[in-house]
Amino acid sequence: MYTLELKVNGRAYKVEVKATTTLLQVLREKLGITGPKVGCETGDCGACSVLVNGKLVKACITNALTVHGKEVLTVEGLGRPGAFHPLQLAFHEHYAAQCGFCTPGMLMAAKALLDENPKPTRDEVKEALSGNLCRCTGYVKIVDAIMAAAGEKA
Amino acid sequence: MSGGEFYRASSVQEALDLLAKYGAKAHVLAGGTDIMVKVNRRQLAPEVLVYIGECGLNYIKDLGDKVVIGGATPFAEILRSDVVKQKLPLLAEAVKHIGTPAIRNVGTIGGNLVTASPAADSSVPLLALGASVKLASKSGERVVPLEAFFKGPGETVRKPDELLVEVIIPVPDKDVKFAYHKIGRRKAGTLSVVAGAVIFKAEGGAPRGTAIARDQACYFEKCSQARVVLNAVAPTPLVAKKASALLEGSALDAELIAKVAKTAAEETSPIDDVRASAWYRRQASEGLVKSLLERIVA
Amino acid sequence: MALNVVGQRVKRYDGLAHVAGETRFVDDVIVPGTLVVKGLRSPVPKGKIKSLDVSAAEKVPGVVAVMTHKDVPNNRYGWGGDQYVLAEDHVRYRGELIAVVAAENEDAALEAVDKMKLEIEEQEPVFDPLEAMKPGAPKVRPEGNIFMYGDSPCRKIIFGDVNEGFKKADIIVEGKYHHQGLKHAQMEPHVSLAVPEATGRLTIYTVSQAMYFHLTWVCNIVGLPMSKVRMIGGTVGGGFGAKNDVHADHIAALLALKTGRPVKWRWTREEDLLFSTFRGSWDMEFKDGVTKDGRLVARQVKSIRDSGAYTSLNAYVVDKHCFLVAGPYFIPNVYVEGYCVYTNKPPASSMRGFGITPATYAGEMQMNKIAEALGMDPWELRFKNAFREGEMTATQRVLDSVALIETMQALAGLVGKELPPHLKAMASTQKREG
Ligand SMILES: Cc1cc2nc3c(=O)[nH]c(=O)nc-3n(C[C@H](O)[C@H](O)[C@H](O)COP(=O)(O)OP(=O)(O)OC[C@H]3O[C@@H](n4cnc5c(N)ncnc54)[C@H](O)[C@@H]3O)c2cc1C
Ligand code: FES
Ligand code: FES
Repeated sequence: MYTLELKVNGRAYKVEVKATTTLLQVLREKLGITGPKVGCETGDCGACSVLVNGKLVKACITNALTVHGKEVLTVEGLGRPGAFHPLQLAFHEHYAAQCGFCTPGMLMAAKALLDENPKPTRDEVKEALSGNLCRCTGYVKIVDAIMAAAGEKA
Repeated sequence: MSGGEFYRASSVQEALDLLAKYGAKAHVLAGGTDIMVKVNRRQLAPEVLVYIGECGLNYIKDLGDKVVIGGATPFAEILRSDVVKQKLPLLAEAVKHIGTPAIRNVGTIGGNLVTASPAADSSVPLLALGASVKLASKSGERVVPLEAFFKGPGETVRKPDELLVEVIIPVPDKDVKFAYHKIGRRKAGTLSVVAGAVIFKAEGGAPRGTAIARDQACYFEKCSQARVVLNAVAPTPLVAKKASALLEGSALDAELIAKVAKTAAEETSPIDDVRASAWYRRQASEGLVKSLLERIVA
Repeated sequence: MALNVVGQRVKRYDGLAHVAGETRFVDDVIVPGTLVVKGLRSPVPKGKIKSLDVSAAEKVPGVVAVMTHKDVPNNRYGWGGDQYVLAEDHVRYRGELIAVVAAENEDAALEAVDKMKLEIEEQEPVFDPLEAMKPGAPKVRPEGNIFMYGDSPCRKIIFGDVNEGFKKADIIVEGKYHHQGLKHAQMEPHVSLAVPEATGRLTIYTVSQAMYFHLTWVCNIVGLPMSKVRMIGGTVGGGFGAKNDVHADHIAALLALKTGRPVKWRWTREEDLLFSTFRGSWDMEFKDGVTKDGRLVARQVKSIRDSGAYTSLNAYVVDKHCFLVAGPYFIPNVYVEGYCVYTNKPPASSMRGFGITPATYAGEMQMNKIAEALGMDPWELRFKNAFREGEMTATQRVLDSVALIETMQALAGLVGKELPPHLKAMASTQKREG
């Protein structure tokens, strides 16, 4: 067992992990942070997307020990009721969440995009979401929401 | 299952020491986008993991006639690099089509090559550009041309104690012609059904779009330094030697384009798998090479 | 009159919880001390189980319980009542569940599954439903490869007299259509959490789309009255019909009762894709009688559904397919046969439309084919045959509130199709001439 120190949503944690434990297992099973979902565990679906030091990663194939000393942001740290991030409100306003299972991951992919490119085109939004699957919405509303959050009238 | 050991190498030297110590028991961990999938699917239970993401192998250097890229450089960095954009546009184009943003943020060029999937997408531009890899171990370094690096699916000439520390890419002449395209099951986040690149130096071409260019069946009077590369259609990424040789020294016309495409397809030895049948891959290879050449002359 | 909901854009009641990441899906319910589950699945598509020895599995450190069919109070379940909770002597598809283990962690559970000694005699499988229907085909089940609707091998819809109809037709248009099998690929894989309580009650957190059906199944399987089992559902990460069958609840419940511990079973994505229910493929043959001016006067359809190894919702899916395969068109003579055929694949079941989606696909392809044969605009053909107010369907239902013509008129506007004046003037309320 190894000691992993990391910050999640601004809070410092110290947890015991194995050499092959994933970041997703740490978040969900050790810290009870269940915003990031288990959809495939092979990096394909994006339901587990989080930011590590501001970079979008799939938590399910991120070896936890490679996050030692780093900062993780999950949907829980994006914004809370009363102080939602514009993306969260836009997703709600634009019906971008149906079952909601993909939503935490979608929001993090969108956040990573807007941090780097605050005024993306629709095509850039689609490219940024290419690693996040949604089975309910057909994506159009999600793209609308992100364009709206970026200040464009969708 | 105890879960094995984990080491975070803080320098290349430390990584090499660990590899020397643990040999075949050790698995290098870079971005983890290949290795962690195998761990999660219980196809691999590594005894020792040596993490090289923070050991100084993340860099892109412009050495004039060549560009060198550190073995643990993630694809996102390669995409962002102005050096790559300006000097190696073929590599930049191919890297755009690898994985998805989150995969490119951590997935590395070294990991892609050492995994040695027949579908490894960085191999196509790198083989076309005549790249080499530098392998280092405690006992020294060697440079291997990428063409001699792959041995079979998942197999390379790398020894267990060696680290792929650098990819060395000769900068092609400014006036080379090239084209790249990846055929996948979807537009993004998918492995290649077949991807291909064609590159050559052209002499004596008629100006683009002119009446002469259209009337004369001959697009360029002489091609040289030609390479036709395909992946996912053979046990290793494939330099189609016969197809490349057809271009070498020849005048490029519609007839040669058809012949090169057909020859390249004949050089493939694809298999049926979940992504496509062997039949489809062979057909697609021919169509792909043809369309790449046509794109160059268009 | 001001309406609060109709005509208004209404926000999802759970939308803010979704965007906050607060929505608690089943896998997000974390109860301390929960055991995890892994299953031994059939490695072959068809076979006879010669022996199964789980003694070594039981000894793996961390293993708390191992179950085979012998430990299941009532081993049969499913919409057709023909599925086995855990296989007894036969397996009928690759991935059929044979034994399960509950353990402190995944490594132990997987090691236990590895240590189970299964001896299986492989038998010849059949995968193609058309092959499976032939006499002499390998038998998926001892009673035969075709589901029996009473004493009929198919669901039949008979309306008017199709042979008389064909006589009145100027042309006959035939078409064969295949609809491939499909997986729902809902984002949330199958998962269940069962928590036993000191009171003797069992709480199950379920992803079910049919919770009160499933409650009765689970009670029956575990042998508890409904007063002792509580299911908590409603938060589903996508279902699309995948969650109309019980995949994990019954196993979690059995193991929770056996161990007295909370038990969670989450299928891997791979298991979900390979072994859970899906939309079986369809083969459909149409024969339509049409007059020169484009009226359908007779339609005969034979449809074959690949149902996989067990009945599940397939018989019902075939029913609904047959009821609706004549399409939204008034056809006075209809004859439909629908077959539900067993093959050595995982049980197919419901998916988005219960057999109607393939019916619509084939039926509308057929309409285009007819239009082409007549040299008629396909819009015109559809308008001509569209149901009118008060007309009767092939299942002898008199329709009211019919609006297909008006819908197509609106649609034409949306896709930029200029309709000729006589189609613009058409209305569902006009009585059909002749
Ligand atoms: C969703 C998804 C999509 C993908 N899409 C694509 C795609 O489109 N095209 C494509 O080609 N690949 C794709 N991949 C595969 C993978 O992302 C790439 O192969 C990636 O480049 C691997 O790099 P890594 O740093 O993550 O490797 P790791 O997983 O860290 O390592 C891979 C292997 O290489 C070894 N290794 C790594 N670095 C070194 C080194 N410097 N020296 C010696 N050995 C080393 C490791 O021991 C291991 O065996 C995809 C993967 C996923 C999960
Ligand atoms: S769970 Fe991580 S990408 Fe699907
Ligand atoms: S909202 Fe259900 S998967 Fe995206």
